[in-house]
Amino acid sequence: MAVGERELIARSCTGDLDAFEELVRAHQAHIYNLTYRLTGNHEDASDAAQDAFVRAFQALSRFRQEAAFSTWLYRIATNAALDLVRRRPAVPPVELPVDHPAPNDPEAEVHRREVSRRVHAAVGQLPVEYRTVVVLRDLQGLAYDQIAKILDIPVGTVRSRLSRGRDALKVLLTDLVTAEG
Amino acid sequence: MSGQTTGRSEHDIARDRLSAFIDGALTAAEAAHVEAHLTGCPACRAELSQLRATVTLVREVEAVQVPDGFAAAVRGRLEQLSATTPRSTWPRWRLALPRAGWTWKTTAAAASLALVAVFAVNLAREMVPSTRGDRLSSRNARVNEGFREGAERDSAVRGRLEAPLAAPGSKVGQSDERSAQQVPSAGEPAPFRRVIRTGQVALEVEKFDVAARRLLAIAEAAGGFVADSSYADEGGTPRGTFVLRVPAGHFGEVVRQVEGLGVVQRRQIHGQDVTEEFIDVEARVRNLERQEARLLTFMDRATKIADLMAVQNEVTRVRGEIERLTGRLRFLTNRVDLATIQAEVSQKPKKTPGGFWDFDQTIARIQAAFLNTVRELLGVTEGIAAFAAAVLPLVVLGALAWGLLRRSQRRADRVA
Repeated sequence: MAVGERELIARSCTGDLDAFEELVRAHQAHIYNLTYRLTGNHEDASDAAQDAFVRAFQALSRFRQEAAFSTWLYRIATNAALDLVRRRPAVPPVELPVDHPAPNDPEAEVHRREVSRRVHAAVGQLPVEYRTVVVLRDLQGLAYDQIAKILDIPVGTVRSRLSRGRDALKVLLTDLVTAEG
Repeated sequence: MSGQTTGRSEHDIARDRLSAFIDGALTAAEAAHVEAHLTGCPACRAELSQLRATVTLVREVEAVQVPDGFAAAVRGRLEQLSATTPRSTWPRWRLALPRAGWTWKTTAAAASLALVAVFAVNLAREMVPSTRGDRLSSRNARVNEGFREGAERDSAVRGRLEAPLAAPGSKVGQSDERSAQQVPSAGEPAPFRRVIRTGQVALEVEKFDVAARRLLAIAEAAGGFVADSSYADEGGTPRGTFVLRVPAGHFGEVVRQVEGLGVVQRRQIHGQDVTEEFIDVEARVRNLERQEARLLTFMDRATKIADLMAVQNEVTRVRGEIERLTGRLRFLTNRVDLATIQAEVSQKPKKTPGGFWDFDQTIARIQAAFLNTVRELLGVTEGIAAFAAAVLPLVVLGALAWGLLRRSQRRADRVA
């Protein structure tokens, strides 16, 4: 897998768009979800994710193999998304897409969707610094040191920002937390 | 409230660490400290469970689907980028200039270096006459000949091939004649090369509609057809893919015609040699047909029903195999006869109307101006050198005369 990816990267460096498209397909799910949670809506998410891949392609020759390619991509995508967020702030959260598979249990499905919507909105309400670490940690499942690398901040800062972000989420989602737990 | 007996600051420290505690991101000592605090602090225990519930809620949020055509959109943007900036290294290099903090000295040095390089290249070109252009065109001619030769051979082969293939399901009695026909062909000195030719061309054209119509015309003029076409309109720049199937003999010509429709951005020519497979499959078909003929004679002679059934089954199996192999042969023949050319056509984005700056023209102008000056300078240098050469004997004579004069003067002084 890693060997194949390295080869794809090398081929992309020479301008091979087929190879790069494969890389895009391999990473688009993570990157798109990241930009979606950071920007809060699909339109900006798509813009940011596209920007990220375009920037990545242009900067590919400067990519050092010492870091994981995915971490490097995350970094570019985070920056692209934050650029957008800072440029057009305060976008009201948009509903999640409705094209879900047919639910087995409609009531539970409705509840689950409502929870998803609430969490998405709450994440969107966090200050950008906290939102970023919460998204990277709890929605993307990255490790602290990876996040530190992506955001170029010390691990201790990741820890404290995450703690504050989660505290804020806890308050925003109090009713759900007590209802579930 | 009563749980805060362990001291306010210690409680705060533990509380702040709860988030990292959930992730197991604390050092062993820190974790032990938090655990110790938790046993004696109900408030922190409640806090921890609430924090855990929150994190669980967030983690359970479903991932969203990447919108359809996302990768294609990225690709489209990249293609557009590479189309508007043909030299991808150029803008980056230009951006790097101010950042690197170049002084006028280094800039001047680089500029003169570049000029010298241009000069050297041109000098080399002038010294070796008829290099690039001629050699290229002759090579092209050879390639085209190759295409044509291959085509002639292919069609000759096709003539022979089609005869046995024309009626693959026909009566078995003919099979012996057929194999008799085929045997001498196996003994021919060099087997014909059978090559499946495929080409891929990415084009940027002025007008998409015109190009699409012309592609159809090109395919039909060459005796082929457009096997597949798709069309999309993204952001006002229509693009589409056309798959042309044309007789192999016209492959090179068609590729050239297609490329003539616009600016070629990518081009890939591929040839897959299937001669071996052809020969192998043909031989197997011959063997099977002989086997079938033999089986049929058995069938005529069979007396018992059981024998008849057994032979019948075998005949069916052999026939099936023959059908499969001749099918493969027909497929290969089709692929060899009809070359495939995939043309990806995109309309030139309107952003840069006709290109406001012709880079190559500028380079040519700069080079011409520079060479002119150098030529003048060389002329002057030459004049000076010639003058020096002309004057040199005089100088030598003058020096001699002066030396003699000095000596005679000195002698005169001494005498005086």
